[in-house]
Amino acid sequence: MLKVLIPTIMLFPTIWLTSPKWLWTTTTAHSLLIALTSLTWLKWTSETGWTSANTYLATDPLSTPLLVLTCWLLPLMILASQNHINPGPISRQRTYIMLLTSLQTFLIMAFGATEIIMFYIMFEATLIPTLIIITRWGNQTERLNAGAYFLFYTLAGSLPLLVALLLLQQSAGTLSMLVLQYSQPLQLNPWGHTIWWAGCLIAFLVKMPLYGVHLWLPKAHVEAPVAGSMVLAAVLLKLGGYGMMRMMVMLDPLSKELAYPFIILALWGIIMTGSICLRQTDLKSLIAYSSVGHMGLVAGGILIQTPWGFSGAIILMIAHGLASSALFCLANTTYERTHSRTMVLARGLQVIFPLTAVWWFTANLANLALPPLPNLMGELMIITTLFSWSPWTILLTGLGTLITASYSLYMFLMSQRGPTPNHITGLQPFHTREHLLITLHLIPIILLVTKPELMWGWCY
Amino acid sequence: MATYKEAPLATRPKTLDPAEYFNLSPDHRRAEEKRAALRAQLKRQYLQQLNNPHRKELIEDPALTRWTYARTNNNYFRPTAKTSLIGGLFGVLPLFVFYVVFKTDRDKREAKIKAGTYQRPYKLST
Repeated sequence: MLKVLIPTIMLFPTIWLTSPKWLWTTTTAHSLLIALTSLTWLKWTSETGWTSANTYLATDPLSTPLLVLTCWLLPLMILASQNHINPGPISRQRTYIMLLTSLQTFLIMAFGATEIIMFYIMFEATLIPTLIIITRWGNQTERLNAGAYFLFYTLAGSLPLLVALLLLQQSAGTLSMLVLQYSQPLQLNPWGHTIWWAGCLIAFLVKMPLYGVHLWLPKAHVEAPVAGSMVLAAVLLKLGGYGMMRMMVMLDPLSKELAYPFIILALWGIIMTGSICLRQTDLKSLIAYSSVGHMGLVAGGILIQTPWGFSGAIILMIAHGLASSALFCLANTTYERTHSRTMVLARGLQVIFPLTAVWWFTANLANLALPPLPNLMGELMIITTLFSWSPWTILLTGLGTLITASYSLYMFLMSQRGPTPNHITGLQPFHTREHLLITLHLIPIILLVTKPELMWGWCY
Repeated sequence: MATYKEAPLATRPKTLDPAEYFNLSPDHRRAEEKRAALRAQLKRQYLQQLNNPHRKELIEDPALTRWTYARTNNNYFRPTAKTSLIGGLFGVLPLFVFYVVFKTDRDKREAKIKAGTYQRPYKLST
């Protein structure tokens, strides 16, 4: 664990001491080496589940894929931000990369935490760099609104979590995930137990986000700069899913009755957000709403508490993280050239950017869960387990898959096909850096087709 | 023009309609000329920008800006009886309907399991 955490912390001196000429090269190379080191976590050496353990941090099959995803994303974020941050003063560039790195450190400690209070503190700590990235480096005036929504939705959801955790600590004596599943359930009156149950989960449901409390997500994703959007879509949403999976082991047996409203909200959210996607004019907003839909499926899978549900949830989280981040990078390439996120403005791009059209195609296929990509694997497992939970869910999930396919097709056709407007034929051609960025997103998705056992969690 | 006859089932196209060319009032002609002049001015402006070899940025379209502003800054929603009904029908009612559907379905299955009469239809590992 420390072999990744210490290099990440040492990235801070690297950022501040490199000469300005070599800043981006050094940080990208350093973070890429960290990412490659993190791949060693994928080898499971322990039968009990928890490996690479020290007193405070450990990895297990649930957190390892998310940790590797987090570490993989940092060089990608630095690659993506290079173009729009480079013109600024050097100290501002260093501050930006430092924010990304601090976010990375908090995320590694959050996913690796064995004690739930540590997870909670890191969960809250990730809010600060993200808030600074959104409100300081966003591009429109709405970024202030977006930052406020993001901060207060998540905080309001997580304060009850703090109370619930402290209550649990007092009754069980420890909050270590290693032993908490074996502890006595809380002895509270029925109402108290219900509120405690809700308090444990609401924070993560807001973070995922669940459909009713998803309002912060389109704002935050759209107003954030590209690295902010990438890390939000790829990792921060998964913090919510990961937290839910950790907490679920202690929340039985109440979860049987109380989970219904949330499962229904999640499933109905897939349909509603999918339909909203079909009517969007803003490209990033479309990708943001599609994230809400996919995460609704993940939430449904987790709340059902079956092995297939959990496996499907982890697989979909990893696959969606990579695919959604790739789409945000592609949207950013359009934004950097036209300075507008309107979809009808930058249409017919296939003619002028043919290779990028291949990346758009693949990313959209990944988003709509095309076999054999892991997106389909996750979605199919969740849909199957939901069907086993109650056959009527197939109406919602089937319609949801149909709507997902149609808005992905809409996004692809609108941006790539059709006649190219005359006034955008003079746009700057694509840089190697941008091609590299997208391929580094898509290659893991394609490689995961060959070894999905890395992502299956405890069912391996 | 005088010898043009429409096909039996077709209508005469607007550009060959005699009313477009004859018996036009001078006011109408003046208005048309003004509109044509404005159009030509806008077209000239656009073509100048399009063919400018030193242009590096996009040509700004004010109509597009207005359209995106109108589409995204949705201040046009007003809660009336009709919109509230639609909102309730699509946003609130389905949640309750699905709750009832799922709950009864699963309670029936639970009762069958407790009575021992439930046949498991698939051999899934869920």
